[in-house]
This record gives sequence, structure tokens and C-alpha cells, in this order.
Amino acid sequence: MALVDLELDLDVFAGPFDLLLTLILREEVDLLEVDLADVVITYIDHLERRGDLDLEAATEFLVLIAALLELKSRLLLPGEEIEEIELDPGEAVEELLARLLDAHRYRAAAAHLRGCLEREEGSRFRSAPPPRELRKARLDDARAVYDPQILVRSINDLLVIPPPVDLHHVTIAKVTVAERLSHLRRLLSRGRFTFDEAVASSDRVTVAVTLYALLELYKQGEATWIQDEPFAEITVERMTPFGAERRLSA
Amino acid sequence: MTSATAELERTVEALLFLSSEPVSPPALAEATGAELHEVVTALETLREHYEFERRGLVVRQLAGGFTLTTHPQAEAAARRLLSKPRTPPLTSAQAETLAIVAYLQPVSRPEIARIRGVSAESAATTLLERGLIEEQGRSQFGAVLYRTTDLFLKLFGLDGLGELPPIEAFDPPPELESELRDRLLRAGEARAGGPGAPSATTPVGIPAAGAEHEDGPDAPADADRA
Repeated sequence: MALVDLELDLDVFAGPFDLLLTLILREEVDLLEVDLADVVITYIDHLERRGDLDLEAATEFLVLIAALLELKSRLLLPGEEIEEIELDPGEAVEELLARLLDAHRYRAAAAHLRGCLEREEGSRFRSAPPPRELRKARLDDARAVYDPQILVRSINDLLVIPPPVDLHHVTIAKVTVAERLSHLRRLLSRGRFTFDEAVASSDRVTVAVTLYALLELYKQGEATWIQDEPFAEITVERMTPFGAERRLSA
Repeated sequence: MTSATAELERTVEALLFLSSEPVSPPALAEATGAELHEVVTALETLREHYEFERRGLVVRQLAGGFTLTTHPQAEAAARRLLSKPRTPPLTSAQAETLAIVAYLQPVSRPEIARIRGVSAESAATTLLERGLIEEQGRSQFGAVLYRTTDLFLKLFGLDGLGELPPIEAFDPPPELESELRDRLLRAGEARAGGPGAPSATTPVGIPAAGAEHEDGPDAPADADRA
């Protein structure tokens, strides 16, 4: 949107924005009376109605409105001049004089420096420094190679508490004497069997519990066993009322 | 002269040749493994040798160290040999800004502008670019502070800031001071005198010391000459 199209309707002025500018600059409209916020709102309304943003026109508007705002704020706060008038004339003279004398001193010092420079006119220095690799390394020469963030990341990694080890997939084998009892009774019902048959491919806990179950059977008078020598095969058989051979090697 | 001192003098000479920046006597002592006073003596002897034998090089004590420079006699030939022009001379604005920084460092740009009465912007920028001044932190109000560099000492033939004459040496003569006060008072009276009177902005400047004062409040003119 070109700014010429911006029509304003303010308390003190109605018409195009350009004209308002011209009138303000000619002081025919008092800037103090113009509500600049209304101008901005009108402009934004225009923008919304148009729907597209012409960057060039928008920038022009920003510059103009900023200049108007500054001008208006200066008109509202004419502070500085008043302060100067309040200064005592005698003090003002001394203050100004001090400044002038200072300026004089440094101007003379400047002339002195220029003299120094002129005196050095004929002196040249070697301007080719030795190559970097031949120079003694100083801290100033050091260049950052590593990103400090690496340190941050490293310490962060170390500070994280690792998740507890998940053990839920590990099951504790539960073997009950009752289970092994029924297992042994089932075997007994088919006749005699060896202990190794009873615990074939079982883990140590099952073997131990099976032994308890066997002892239980013996106690109940249901079974007895035969073992010829230590670590030999144990044969289990049904206990007969008329007494079977009872031998148990330790 | 013993052979040991001659040896040290020779080594020191070689080290000065190798260094493009002034080297301090302690650094030379550390490099040669000699005592500091021996190095100082060797430097002095070396300087005298160069001078006595009218060599093309001069041993100079600059910016807190020792360095070799060319003899001014060779300047005309050096100009013809080298295509690069010498550092351009300073404009008045640059010289004044540099003088203020040299005496008042660390000093901020607004302070420089206050003393000079005109903006120091472009002069300070040029001095920064030429490496004569550098930034040294910020004032409590956030303004950048400036100080002079070792290059400044080197180019101006100074060993240290202590070699600058005290600022009182540049005090204006008392007649000028009283004349200025009179003019200021007259201007003040004229201003108080009524609406028709000439205002206090009547020029009361001092005649510039030796040089024309070409730098207006917003004249970036010296930037072109940098």
C-alpha cells in the first residue's frame, strides 16, 4: 500500500497521511495535538484490510512515524535548554573556560605527538615477523580447537543415574515337594524306577526336592530303594507289607 | 672486552634481528641465559657499535624493549626500494584524539568528544584501524574505553608513556587565559542583555595551536585521508 493512500480521520485532522506530514512540517498543524497512536492504528487497519505487506511502504511508514514520535517527544520534554539557563553565568564562564583550556592543552599535546611522529619519519622497522611456527607460543596465539560444549556433554553423561538393571525376566524356579511327590507316585504306579530316571534333565533344585519327596514316600511307607554302593544307581520300588530289603548308603 | 661479552653482544644482535617487535631485556636474558645486567651492557655496547661504525641500522629502546630500526639516512633509498607508502601523517582530529587517549587513558569516546568539543567518532575509528589505540573494557556507564598500543609507542619513538611531557607543559600562557575569560564574560553579558544581543554562540574559540582545525561537528572528512 502506498502511503499516499492512507486516509486519516483524527480529532485534529482528516485527510491523507502525506498532507498531515506536510502540514506538521509547515507547523500549520500542531504535532502536540496529533494523536500518533491513532495514526498507527489507522495504518494497521489498512494493512489488515489489504492482507498483503508491502515491505517498502511499511518501512517508509516506520521511519516517518518514528521521526514524528521523536519530534513530538522533544516538543513535550524541552529539558536541556532550561538547565543551561539556570546555570549561574559566572559558573558557566568558568566551566566553559576550563573546557577551552583543556581543549587548548590537548591540541598542543597533539602537536607534540605529530612532532614525535615526524621525527620518526626515517626509522623503519622490520615488518616481516618470523613465521608463526618459529615463534614462541603464547597464550594469545592459542586458538580454540574444541567446542567447550564437549566438556558439558561429557559431564552431563556422567551425571545421569543409569536405569536399574531389569531382572523381571529372570524367574526363580519353584519346585514343591507336593509336585515331586505326585511325580514319584506316578512313576511308582508303573513299577520300579531309578532315581536318575525320576530326575532326568532336571535342575539341581528339582533333584534336591525330589530327594525330599522320596524320603517323604519312605516315611509314609509307600516306597523304598536299593543302592549297591555309594554313588551307584538308586532303584526305587514300591514298599511291600512283608518287608523289602531296606538299604540306603549315605 | 672479554670474549664472553663479545659473544653475548653477538647473540643479542641476532635475537634483535629475528624479532619484529621490541624485545625486553628480561626476555633477552632468559633467551641467552645471561644475567640481566650483562644483557643491558651488551645492548648498550651494541648500540654504540652501530652508532660508532655508522651502520645502516640503529638500536632503539621503544615500547619497553629494544629493537633494530633503519637509519633515517636510508629513508630516501628505502622509499624508492619499497612500493608501500609510509603510514600517512595524522590529521588534526586524529592527533587530538590520540593525545587525549595517551594522557587520559583509559578514556571513553564521549569524554574525548567533550574535551574536543566535536565528535571523535571517525578519528577514533581510524586510530583503531591503524592500531594506535585499542579498546580496554568499558566504563561504569557502558562506554568503550580506549588506551594506546605498543605500536603507538613504537611509531612515536617512545619507550613508555612516561616519556610524554606532563600535560601541564601544554598549559596556555596566562595572557591567553585571561583574554579568553574576558571574551566569555562579554559574551555572557551580551546574552543576558536582551533579545537583540548576540547570543552566547558567538565564536570564542582559541586560535588553533599551529594547525588549522578542520574538523566540524559532523565532518567525517578525516576518514577519507586515513
